[in-house]
Amino acid sequence: MKIQFPNHLNKVRNSNYSVEDLINFENEVKKHYENGEIRSPIHLSKGNENEVIEIFKYISEDDWVFSSWRNHYHALLHGINKQVLLDDIISGRSMSTNSINPKFYSSSIVGGIIPIATGVAKAIKDKNEKNKVWCFIGDMTYETGIFHESYKFSRNFKLPLEFVVEDNNLSTNTPTNETWGLKSRNIPKDIIYYKYDRGYPHHGTGNWVLF
Amino acid sequence: MKYLEALIYSMEWLGNKNDTIFLGQSVKYSGNAIYNTLKTVPDEKKLETPVFEDLQMGLSIGMALEGFVPITCYPRFDFLILACNQLINHLDKIRSMSRNKMQPRVIIRTSIGSKEPLDGGIQHTQDYTEVFKKMCSEIDVVMLDNPKDIFPMFKKAYERKDSKSTLLIEHGDYYNEK
Repeated sequence: MKIQFPNHLNKVRNSNYSVEDLINFENEVKKHYENGEIRSPIHLSKGNENEVIEIFKYISEDDWVFSSWRNHYHALLHGINKQVLLDDIISGRSMSTNSINPKFYSSSIVGGIIPIATGVAKAIKDKNEKNKVWCFIGDMTYETGIFHESYKFSRNFKLPLEFVVEDNNLSTNTPTNETWGLKSRNIPKDIIYYKYDRGYPHHGTGNWVLF
Repeated sequence: MKYLEALIYSMEWLGNKNDTIFLGQSVKYSGNAIYNTLKTVPDEKKLETPVFEDLQMGLSIGMALEGFVPITCYPRFDFLILACNQLINHLDKIRSMSRNKMQPRVIIRTSIGSKEPLDGGIQHTQDYTEVFKKMCSEIDVVMLDNPKDIFPMFKKAYERKDSKSTLLIEHGDYYNEK
C-alpha cells in the first residue's frame, strides 16, 4: 500500500534489508520454533515488508523506536544486530525486544509503549535535542483511550513523536472494526498509516509443534 | 522536624537538583494536600498534568529513560490504582525485560487520604501498601510513618546506586498530627 507521509518528514537513511531478507529472517525464526527450540510465544511478521522498509528510511539511527509483541521487522530495520535479535528470540525474549543502542523498546501490553514514548519525546524536547520518537501501533491499539490521550497531549505540546498505525484489522483474532462498530478508520493526516493482511497467525507459525 | 516540614524540606532538596521534575495534579495549583509540600519548589520545575494517571506514569518512565528523575505525584492512593498498568507492567518490569540495561529511576509519591477532620470516604482513604509490596518486584515500596525517616528516604530514593524506583507512601492525617 502506498503510504502518505506527513510533509515535515524527510528520508534520512537507506535500508540494510530487502524484502527477501526480512522474510528470510522470520523463516529462520519459524524453523527454530518448529524445532521446539523457542519456549515462548513468537509473533511473526509477513506481508508488510515494503511498507516497513519505506517507513524506516525516515527514521534516524539516533531516534527511539517503540514497538509491540510483533517487533522483529522493526528491530532489524532500526539496526539491532541480526544475530543478537535471533539469540534473544531463541532465548524467549521475542515479546519484549529492547536495546539501548539503537534505542528500541517494545511491550507486550496493548498500548503500553505509548505513554513511555510520549515521556521520552517530552524529555527530548525539554533538552532541546534533535532526535525524535517513533511509535508503531496496531489498529486495536489505535482505538484505545490511552492512544487518544497521548496523541492529544503530544500534538498540543508539539512533542517530537511520530505514530505509525499498522492496520491488519485484527487483535489476536478479534476483528477490531466489528468490536468497535466501525465501518472504516478515520486517521489524522499527521499519522503514518497502512493496511496489510497478516501473513502469519497471531502467534506461532500455523503449524503444530510438539514441545 | 514535623511530618509536613520534613516533606517540604525533602521537596526543596529535590527541587534544587538539576535533573528532577515534579509532575502530577496539584503540583503547581492548589487543590490537594500534596501542593502544600511543593510551595518552595519553583514553578519551572513543575509539570501540572491533566487527569491521566496511567499516561502520567508512562510519561515519568519515558523522561527517566532520557535522564530525568521525575517525582511523580498521586495525591491519593486510590488514584494510583489508575496508573497500575505503567507502574506494575512496565516500570516494575523494565529492568528485567532489558537485562538491567534500562534503569529508569522514578520517585513516586502518594498518600493515604486523611480521615480527620473530614473523612474522605471509601474511595479516597484506602491504604494499599501491603498489596503494592506484593505486586512490585523491582520497585521499592516505602511507608513514611515517622517524620525523622522522611528526608533520608527521599534522599535515598534520589541517590540510590542501584537506580531502582521508589514508591513513597504518606499518611494524609500525619500532615497535621505528627
